[in-house]
Amino acid sequence: MQTPKEIGGIRFGLMDPETYRDMSATKVITADTYDDDGYPIDMGLMDPRLGVIDPGLECRTCGQHSGSCNGHFGHIELAAPVIHVGFTKLIRRLLRSTCRQCGRLALTDDEQAEFRSRMQRAEELSEDWSDVMKAAVRQARKAKRCPHCNEPQHDIKHEKPTTYYEVQDVLSGEYSELIAEAMQPDEEEDREGMAPQELAEKTDIDLQRVNQILSGEFRPRKEDRKAIEKALSIDLTVEDMNKLMPSDIRDWFEDIPNDDMETLGIDSERARPEWMILTVLPVPPVTARPSITLDNGQRSEDDLTHKLVDIIRINQRFMENREAGAPQLIIEDLWELLQYHVTTFIDNEISGTPPARHRSGRPLKTLSQRLKGKEGRFRGSLSGKRVNFSARTVISPDPTLSLNEVGVPDRVASEMTQTMNVTERNIEEAQQYVRNGPESHPGANYVKRPDGRRLKVTEKNCEELAEKVELGWEVNRHLVDGDIVIFNRQPSLHRMSIMAHEVVVMPYKTFRLNTVVCPPYNADFDGDEMNMHALQNEEARAEARVLMRVQEQILSPRFGENIIGAIQDHISGTYLLTHENPHFTETQALDLLRATRVDELPEPDGEEDGKAYWTGHSIFSELLPDDLSLEFSSSTGDDVLIEDGQLLGGTIDEDAVGAFGGEIVDTITKVYSETRARIFVNEISSLAMRAIMHFGFSIGIDDESIPEEAGEQVDEAIENAYERIEELIDTYDAGELESLPGRTVDETLEMKIMQTLGKARDSAGEIADDHFGDDNPAVIMARSGARGSMLNLTQMAGCVGQQAVRGERINRGYEDRTLSHYKPNDLSAEAHGFVENSYRGGLTPREFFFHAMGGREGLVDTAVRTSKSGYLQRRLINALSELETQYDGTVRDTSGTIVQFEFGEDGTSPVKVSSSKDNDIDVDSIADRVMDAEFDDEATRQQFLGREEPPTNLSEHAEPRLSDARAPEVESDD
Amino acid sequence: MVDVSQHKLVPEHTLVDEEAVDEVLQEYNVERTNLPKIKRKDPAVPDEAESGDVVRIVRDSRTTDQAVVYRLVIE
Repeated sequence: MQTPKEIGGIRFGLMDPETYRDMSATKVITADTYDDDGYPIDMGLMDPRLGVIDPGLECRTCGQHSGSCNGHFGHIELAAPVIHVGFTKLIRRLLRSTCRQCGRLALTDDEQAEFRSRMQRAEELSEDWSDVMKAAVRQARKAKRCPHCNEPQHDIKHEKPTTYYEVQDVLSGEYSELIAEAMQPDEEEDREGMAPQELAEKTDIDLQRVNQILSGEFRPRKEDRKAIEKALSIDLTVEDMNKLMPSDIRDWFEDIPNDDMETLGIDSERARPEWMILTVLPVPPVTARPSITLDNGQRSEDDLTHKLVDIIRINQRFMENREAGAPQLIIEDLWELLQYHVTTFIDNEISGTPPARHRSGRPLKTLSQRLKGKEGRFRGSLSGKRVNFSARTVISPDPTLSLNEVGVPDRVASEMTQTMNVTERNIEEAQQYVRNGPESHPGANYVKRPDGRRLKVTEKNCEELAEKVELGWEVNRHLVDGDIVIFNRQPSLHRMSIMAHEVVVMPYKTFRLNTVVCPPYNADFDGDEMNMHALQNEEARAEARVLMRVQEQILSPRFGENIIGAIQDHISGTYLLTHENPHFTETQALDLLRATRVDELPEPDGEEDGKAYWTGHSIFSELLPDDLSLEFSSSTGDDVLIEDGQLLGGTIDEDAVGAFGGEIVDTITKVYSETRARIFVNEISSLAMRAIMHFGFSIGIDDESIPEEAGEQVDEAIENAYERIEELIDTYDAGELESLPGRTVDETLEMKIMQTLGKARDSAGEIADDHFGDDNPAVIMARSGARGSMLNLTQMAGCVGQQAVRGERINRGYEDRTLSHYKPNDLSAEAHGFVENSYRGGLTPREFFFHAMGGREGLVDTAVRTSKSGYLQRRLINALSELETQYDGTVRDTSGTIVQFEFGEDGTSPVKVSSSKDNDIDVDSIADRVMDAEFDDEATRQQFLGREEPPTNLSEHAEPRLSDARAPEVESDD
Repeated sequence: MVDVSQHKLVPEHTLVDEEAVDEVLQEYNVERTNLPKIKRKDPAVPDEAESGDVVRIVRDSRTTDQAVVYRLVIE
């Protein structure tokens, strides 16, 4: 089939019934599908002119075979017109706004002109023109009489989904009785009677006429009726509903002139209103509703075919009955039934209509259901679809990989392929791949000859085939080390959720990745799975390498700082290495640095017991660029000073090398290059792992225990808080508690109690803190920012503290008390969820219960938050997806409307701007750097002025690997 | 009545004369209707502005000191 390569435009509109007939391959008249021999019946629903689905058969319309024939529409001539459910609202609007007699829009020419200009303006301002249309309809509906032919207009009642009535207020048949009754005196309703004379006076009607009306001889005219209604305060009218049949509506709409349609924003060239009433139904090609043959040879038809069978059956019955001259009632019933089937054929989820069901009771999936929703054609098949060359498996960590790499299981690597175009330079390589066959690893699965024929490489034919491979062939070889692939973890919330990695083929079944790429993917190894996609053309591979490789994503556009860096044990490791600046012997120092490319130690820092030693600081400094100078304060609390690539003081912790804005990683990425940053992060993580293994790092239950006297101090602090609370309650009970501004006394008491208990827990924490050594592993993790906080420690060792639900002390449960263990209205701490014990000490049953209440709230909160934020994100993405920064710096939508005159008002990308904690741009240091570069020597200056791009590093296989013990050619792009 | 244009959080809105409007439209190569919109009844719009006019808004910006934005006044 010829697929159009370029689409010039798409027009939406209604289709003329004549067009349906013209494009129809056949008229469908029988509801049967196949005859007894299994052949499709002519002019049946499976007519071979509608396309072919069975292989081997030929399409009777285009002569092609299944697969290349797209199918052709047929049509059903409906016995009577029916309403298209998709347009019921528009039909209602048109009925209400046009004249029942002449079909013209019930607006004067002036009004029409006004609405036309409003419509035009809305279009120019790219506003919603349907608002103007609605306004015009509202205006036209007000008209009691048609301004063109003066015909009185009636209100239209729409009974969902497809019935319309004309509503007229007419005089009730029992008007004389109603009037007479209202004139009688009524004791109960405290109403005096009214004599005919009085009525005549009040209504200004002749007495004789009044008597005629009362006797039922004369029907009062509209004005008289209104006067009587007013005088007696009664309602003499009844609603008369006149059902509009689809054929009536069609006749009505045929009269609407084209010009009047334009006022409503409808282009009559493309959409005549009468086309909304179906007289002929298109039958989708069989390729759109293929029947499936079950194992037992039975055919099972598509839902659409089932629905079409229903329509044809009813259609036939309708025609037979009408020809036989059946009574109107039966005809109307059949008409309604036909309407129901056509309605459910289009949409089977209409409210107020029972959905058409399969024999099994399952609702049928008809046209609208195929398009709608997450699994529908748009969201499920067009915006997102299943792809080839993808793999998914569990992930696990491998610290020996570079952050740019991904470990790919060999069985994945030999399933997924890359296309090699055989040239004189790679022909031997290509032949070797084919020779290896599809099962041994660097092999090939398929070869393609220049004539387009694809041959499968098998264990049997691989040797033979390898000899045949020539220039111009294509070989689909297995993934090998160094290939680029795309790696992704859902939910893909930001662009760092999809990054390009270089393949390292490995044994076993999991994808392996370096732990430093966990933060951007938000991955852990508790069973997470990730997806991999092999790229299939050079353009994609080049783009992935230059733009998507992990090292290019070190800086996050979210906050303009690095999102990749040391985490958890890496941070504990660098902390241990630098905090107390320990000494290492030569062997130890070399061991620490052995996974980096440093293989010569600097001058020793001194001598101890006759042996040279190196400090942690100087070992760390080996990884820094030689001319790096930095000064910042660490999360441990000391000041870090780096001068000319030497760490002179301070602790290296989360604020220095951590993911999410580690100062050193951030600076290296921005000032040096992404490549240098990747080398640094790789080396820092290897060094940190060596360091933490050198020192040994573990945590156990005893690390959270505090000495007995400390425990007593904690108890005392809590006891003090209890006393203070008791005093507070006493003052409250005595009515002497002064309320805080803007709060009631009860609220004040609650606040003060909460405050006191908070302080109690904090002081318990401080006491516990005082008794922890600085070498306590939990303390090290909390201080360095590796994991956990001092609060976690307080809760483990000191006191868990107040449990809260909805930000308050626990106040729910029984009447006036939380549990039946307490007296009613007990305001004390323990009755409202204060946990005085520590996690290590153990909670009492009641404390445990309160703790579970607080914990439950936390769980529910996170569950609700993720689902809410997911939907919010979807809406935000849909709203912003078409905005684009143009070459002139403006941000515009697809219609060219400007959204921002300059991207972000300053036209800069957050990742290109150097920033510090308080978000100021450090102009001085930038200027310094620029001046340095400028006045160093002429060559550097020229490079600066010439804006020479740093060389693009395409692969780490193009340079010495970290593990390679070659000369340390630290390439820096400065 | 409070005059919101005097509030410190309301940036300066000034009416742009026709010549300057043409310059702006030329600079960004846009039609008037492609500018962002502002309602005539918006309290920050100068009183003399009519629909079809263009206002210049100079607001403080976190990223650049001052950001200039043009908006088309609509009814």
